[in-house]
Amino acid sequence: MKFNKMFRYLLYTLSLAVLFLPAISASAAETVAQSNKSLQQQIDELNRKIDEAKESSAKPVHKHESSDSLIHLAGYADVGYVNGESNDGSFGVGSFSPIFHYQYKDLVMLESELEFEINETGETEVAIEYLTVDIFLNDYVTLVMGKFLSPIGQFRQNLHPSWINKQPTAPVGFGHDQAAPVSEVGIQFRGGVPAGPVKINYAVYGGNGPALEENGGEIEAIETPGLNVDGDGKKVYGGRLGVYIPALRLDLGASGAAGRAAVWDPSVDPVTYERSRDYQAAGVDFGTKFFGIDLRGEYIKQTVGKQAASVAPEKAEWSAWYSQVAYVISPINTEIALRYGAYNTPERTTNRTQTAISVNYLFANNVIGKVGYENNEIPNELNPKQRVDNRMLVQLAYGF
Amino acid sequence: MKNSKSKNFIKILVTVVTLMFLMPLANAEDTWPVKGNFANGAKAWAENCTRCHNTRDPRELRDDQWITAVYHMRLRAGLTGQETRDIVTFMQMSN
Ligand code: HEC
Repeated sequence: MKFNKMFRYLLYTLSLAVLFLPAISASAAETVAQSNKSLQQQIDELNRKIDEAKESSAKPVHKHESSDSLIHLAGYADVGYVNGESNDGSFGVGSFSPIFHYQYKDLVMLESELEFEINETGETEVAIEYLTVDIFLNDYVTLVMGKFLSPIGQFRQNLHPSWINKQPTAPVGFGHDQAAPVSEVGIQFRGGVPAGPVKINYAVYGGNGPALEENGGEIEAIETPGLNVDGDGKKVYGGRLGVYIPALRLDLGASGAAGRAAVWDPSVDPVTYERSRDYQAAGVDFGTKFFGIDLRGEYIKQTVGKQAASVAPEKAEWSAWYSQVAYVISPINTEIALRYGAYNTPERTTNRTQTAISVNYLFANNVIGKVGYENNEIPNELNPKQRVDNRMLVQLAYGF
Repeated sequence: MKNSKSKNFIKILVTVVTLMFLMPLANAEDTWPVKGNFANGAKAWAENCTRCHNTRDPRELRDDQWITAVYHMRLRAGLTGQETRDIVTFMQMSN
């Protein structure tokens, strides 16, 4: 009975709905038509805007709406070919080094360079070349914290990227674990101050410092990869003071660092350290331009003191210097660079003198093809001037 | 050893705090977005930008990219804040 009532009610509603359906759908159709119309209007409007945009983009656009955060990808890469006495001709990839820049207003910048390299067994290795957060404290002081290129000297921090270096290789003694410190993890203040006709630039830092590699009772190398832990608990402090004289286009710099460093054993876990000993670094550099000639040079040295408690108790010193002259023959976009340098170590057989020449074709100011020849000799050998690994190098470098 | 460590730490702290006090200098005038002087920028560019490497063509980068690139160079070359802003302005008007 109840069910019957409900059924009738449903039927009644349904038939009403069927009766009114045409009316409802008619009004729905009207709404659809209306919204179609407004859609069409919107499409027309958009088309007009696109046409406008097309017109304005016909001229090049370099402008940007100013934003507070900026992102920029820079970096460099190089590929090449080497043929030397110890290498029967190999193609090779030098490195791919992208640099990431993030900047928030003129307050802070994050700069980081990664270094991708292919090793001898074909595997790719990645390293953080540097990673710092820089706070622009004021117009003359910037605080830099993290892993940075050593402020000691000039080649390592400012001239080693392959599109900048006018030779396919670093000067002898200026490579990794040689005479020039490479990286540091710590805190740094750097900046510039105008002083009448000259400009002063400076960098002062404190950091974890290097570790010392021991072999056969002697210190084999000072390692400065930018250690992320201060194993010996002793910091190294230093800096560089530079003067730039615009009128003479002359850059002069003097650097120094002092602190303590210890022999380590990185093969065990956790890494162990001996008692620390004195560590010092010093350098002078110059660079100038006259009549289109680019002349520069640098001397650098690192010393470690005695430590009676060490397996390698003696002091040791590594030093290197180079000088380079380069000239661009503008009409043919070709540059000729000549470099001479020497590297002195505690172990006579690793001492070197080096003469290098490179002929560079500038595809663009940041895209350089180099063909170089390097003559390496062990100085003061009885067997007069023993030649070691002279080589021919070809390199294509791109700074982007 | 612990003593010299904490002494060093205090040295660093004192330096940092002193520098922090200098900070208001930077914020004294509103310097963002970068407003520099074109003519001074042209001069500073000619003087500074070939010291370490070949000149980079202003047309190589967009306006925003020149900001980060020149601020990066501020650190490399030891430029002052004013020189940096002037060079950014010069680059942005020459690309
Ligand atoms: C003190 C040396 C030095 C001076 C002076 C210098 N640069 Fe650089 N520049 C470098 C180095 C080093 C790099 C490569 C950065 C790297 O690999 O970490 C570089 C890279 C660049 C790049 C590539 C993008 C980037 O940020 O890496 C541009 C563009 C550039 N410089 C423009 C300039 C301009 C413009 C000036 C003048 C204000 C200038 N440079 C002055 C050392 C210098």
